[in-house]
Amino acid sequence: MPVITLYWDELERMVEADREEILEKLPLLGCDIERVEEEHIDVEFFPNRPDLYSVEGVARALRGFLDLEPGLRKYSVVKGDWKIVVDGSVLDVRPRIVGCVVRKLEMDDEVIRSLMQIQEDLHWTIGRNRRKMAIGVHDLSKVHFPLSYRAVKSDFSFVPLDFDEEMTVAEILEKHPKGVGYRFILENKDLYPMIVDSKEEVISFPPIINAEKTRVTEKTTDLFIDVTGFDENVDRALNIIASMFHDRGGEIQSISIVYPDRVEVTPDLNPRIMEVKQDEIRELLGFRIKVNEAVRALERMRFGAEKLENTIRVHIPAYRADIMHPWDIIEDIAIGYGYDKIELEYPSTNTIGSVHRWNKVRDIVREIMVGLGFLEVTSFTLTSEKLQYEYMNRSAMAWKDYVPLQHPLTEEHTIVRTHILPSLLEILSMNRHHTLPQKIFEAGDVVVNSKNRLKLAGVITHSKAGFSEIRSIVQALMMELGIEWEAEESQDRAYITGRSAEIVVEESVGNFGEIHPEVLERFQLSTPVAGFEIDLSSLFDVGEVI
Amino acid sequence: MILSPMEITLLKYLETGREYTIDEASKITGLKRDAVMKASHLLQEKGMAEIRTKERRKYFLTEEGKSYLRDGLPEEKLYNLLLKNDVEIESAKKVLGKEFGIALGWLRKRGIVDISDNLIKLRKRAEFREREILEKIEKEEVVAGDLNELLRRKLIDFDEEKEIYVRILKKPEAELKEVIKDLTPDLLMTGEWRNREFLKYDVKIPSKRIFAAKYHPYERIVKECREIFLEMGFTEIKGNFVQSSFWNFDALFQPQDHPARDMQDTFYLERKVELEREYVDKVRETHLNGWKTGSTGWGGYWSIDTARKLVMRTHTTAITIHYLAMNPEPPVKAFCIDRVYRRESIDATHLPEFDQLEGVVLDRDVGFRHLLGLLREFFLKMGFEDVRFRPGYFPYTEPSVEPEVYVEGLGWVELGGAGVFRKEVTKPLGIKGRVLAWGLGMGRLAMLRLGMKDLRKLYQPDIGWLRDLPSVVR
Repeated sequence: MPVITLYWDELERMVEADREEILEKLPLLGCDIERVEEEHIDVEFFPNRPDLYSVEGVARALRGFLDLEPGLRKYSVVKGDWKIVVDGSVLDVRPRIVGCVVRKLEMDDEVIRSLMQIQEDLHWTIGRNRRKMAIGVHDLSKVHFPLSYRAVKSDFSFVPLDFDEEMTVAEILEKHPKGVGYRFILENKDLYPMIVDSKEEVISFPPIINAEKTRVTEKTTDLFIDVTGFDENVDRALNIIASMFHDRGGEIQSISIVYPDRVEVTPDLNPRIMEVKQDEIRELLGFRIKVNEAVRALERMRFGAEKLENTIRVHIPAYRADIMHPWDIIEDIAIGYGYDKIELEYPSTNTIGSVHRWNKVRDIVREIMVGLGFLEVTSFTLTSEKLQYEYMNRSAMAWKDYVPLQHPLTEEHTIVRTHILPSLLEILSMNRHHTLPQKIFEAGDVVVNSKNRLKLAGVITHSKAGFSEIRSIVQALMMELGIEWEAEESQDRAYITGRSAEIVVEESVGNFGEIHPEVLERFQLSTPVAGFEIDLSSLFDVGEVI
Repeated sequence: MILSPMEITLLKYLETGREYTIDEASKITGLKRDAVMKASHLLQEKGMAEIRTKERRKYFLTEEGKSYLRDGLPEEKLYNLLLKNDVEIESAKKVLGKEFGIALGWLRKRGIVDISDNLIKLRKRAEFREREILEKIEKEEVVAGDLNELLRRKLIDFDEEKEIYVRILKKPEAELKEVIKDLTPDLLMTGEWRNREFLKYDVKIPSKRIFAAKYHPYERIVKECREIFLEMGFTEIKGNFVQSSFWNFDALFQPQDHPARDMQDTFYLERKVELEREYVDKVRETHLNGWKTGSTGWGGYWSIDTARKLVMRTHTTAITIHYLAMNPEPPVKAFCIDRVYRRESIDATHLPEFDQLEGVVLDRDVGFRHLLGLLREFFLKMGFEDVRFRPGYFPYTEPSVEPEVYVEGLGWVELGGAGVFRKEVTKPLGIKGRVLAWGLGMGRLAMLRLGMKDLRKLYQPDIGWLRDLPSVVR
């Protein structure tokens, strides 16, 4: 989630409130304050509120929330004489383009800082790292309308930002830092989107890089903004940026986008209308809120709201990208009303609790094991083939036995365990410096053939640890579990042959014995270890596992 | 008074007031020299004995003394000669040689002989105790009497030696009996223990350390949470770690291009599963256009192939939502405390797998206010008396809330998240009523409860830490 740096002088001036009040109220609007400094605060806003990724947006919201300027703010768009013609060739590459012109704006450091911050944060969030949406900002005086938005081949060339000579598209993707950084978006394409002006000079190569010639400088007074992508996210981003410049006192002018089959005019900063049923507000919030109060709460959240007979008609500002459903509005009613003012009530829902069978079984064996003098341990279920099988002189098959991760992060964690015993040996290995004897156990989940099973394993280590001691443990355990069993000689090479056995209840449900010296060596263990593992899922009904 | 068996033996055999050398005491009591020494010191500490070290002369025979003892003393030889007859001086000189002068001098000095007319005559009978003394010294026996004469005659000499003496000063009034160290079956069966005292131990000395077998401290916290849920009437549910993307993401209205679904953050598996048809179509429609939920939906595209992909579940909500789909009729209260996976590098506060706690309430007449009431009650039961609520954001809840609890020394601490499941989540799955849901990371709770700074300890246990951590953590 993006962390926005807000400078106090700017914020206090724009909100017209002091920092104490701002600090107190901001979290109740929905954010995490990460850092408070003398000069600025760093605030993490939620990904559903990209309109708050700039000081302008935060000030706008706070002025409503603090009752300084409740209700809808008016945004006007002057009809501009600007045109972008969309060529059919680009429709399969990056089909949507929107834009606007901003005039009469003083481009001071504050504005540029705010613009750069929101551009980056919108690229990350709405844009999904420029994949779904990318924003270009240009010095209007260098751009000659009408523009053409089309697709070109990789030998097409222009002078990209930060360079002083022409490069082809192929070269940019190969050498330009932005080309290298974002070429993954255009992988496997043979045509590339390009915005070209009426002099046939390139303005931008979205979503990679602008042309050098339209660079914004301190002399810039008017801006042309383009947003390219695939769907409504381009409109959302444009509306947020246009509203932000409008808040700064800029004049927003519209641009006609001429598609082969239609004409769109952007931006559209008119509010959307959504009606919310009063009953639905009551039901979702769980209490009756007076309609006037709901209206006031909405206005505090900068919506326009009209009380109708059974509904409230809500005017949603164009910069609010998150309102998909009436419930999104009802949440804002709750926030505007104040979470701290809601009277709490415990639900009267009457049900009877019950323990899952899985944990019933698990708790019983844990009790028995502690009674037998074992210390309980917990371990990761992620592990590796090496530890689970290679180290243990065992073998297993992917999928039939264990689940392999598709993109493991480390060599230690490549699969989900099918056995607990190796985890315990690993723990002994990590605890060699502690006093012997050590007796540890774990009862927990393993995943066999993509399904969870409940297993129990225990190990004993001291200078005389051996077969008869672990057999005593298994005998006592099985006796306590009330299960008749027989021991049969085991061929499992994790153990010493002739000193290990399968626990047979109709079929083998586990095994025990003296751990093979080869195995001990691999775990760097230098005292004998005796251990056992048993599959409880095959012995007990462990209940429904979803 | 605590007396060891060897002290008792010493008191028993030695007379009060008399001094014994250690050798003597050893001989009398049958104890070894070391034991006598140790017992003497112990008794001295109790004021019942006194140990003294004295200088002592140890006599031995000179070479002359030894030859006299072997061949007889000169005066003795002369005396024996005179017993038969008077002897002329000249003939006596011949018999005794150079010893004659010594022999005659001694005999005359003691008035045993007279000399007249060159004839030595015996005047009276005599005894020669010197021989007896030399014999005793040769045998290292104690000699009474004056030894100065023998010293002067250089028949004996001595070394100065130190000798340790022990003297019993007093004996305890009660009858001396051996105290009981180990209470043996024999003592019990014979009833002999009644006549004896028990050896008392020094209770301040720590014994050897042993370690309790016990539950893992983290499992205690899990148990506590489970108990709270059960007391509040919740049903425990359980699900597989491996889930379809459908239940992990799509059913929860997470758009298919959502960053949380990236390979970067989620462990995917290279297999796909068949999905329950009854849910898929409605979920797809909801994603695309909102279906009948009143939502706009996400638009764009929705691929069933993406939904079929297996993942290591990233949250327990994959299980709760599936359970609710299987049990869509209110009332339902369910909870789950179980493992989830995130594709994260391990450090002190991030693990690729950890446990999540989650609770859901499905009912007709419940809303956001009841969720807050539920949270307050739940945290209260966990011992957090002050709870407050801030707006939050989760993709599948609306409204959403971030509860904070007050922790002494830390201030307000965010603890989990909560919300009402979106209609886009519940309606396509046929769930009737509203679902209040909340969850939290168990690791966070463990850190607060156990004062842990490093989460790795939970899953890579240090046996020393487990042994040292009390079962009752205050």
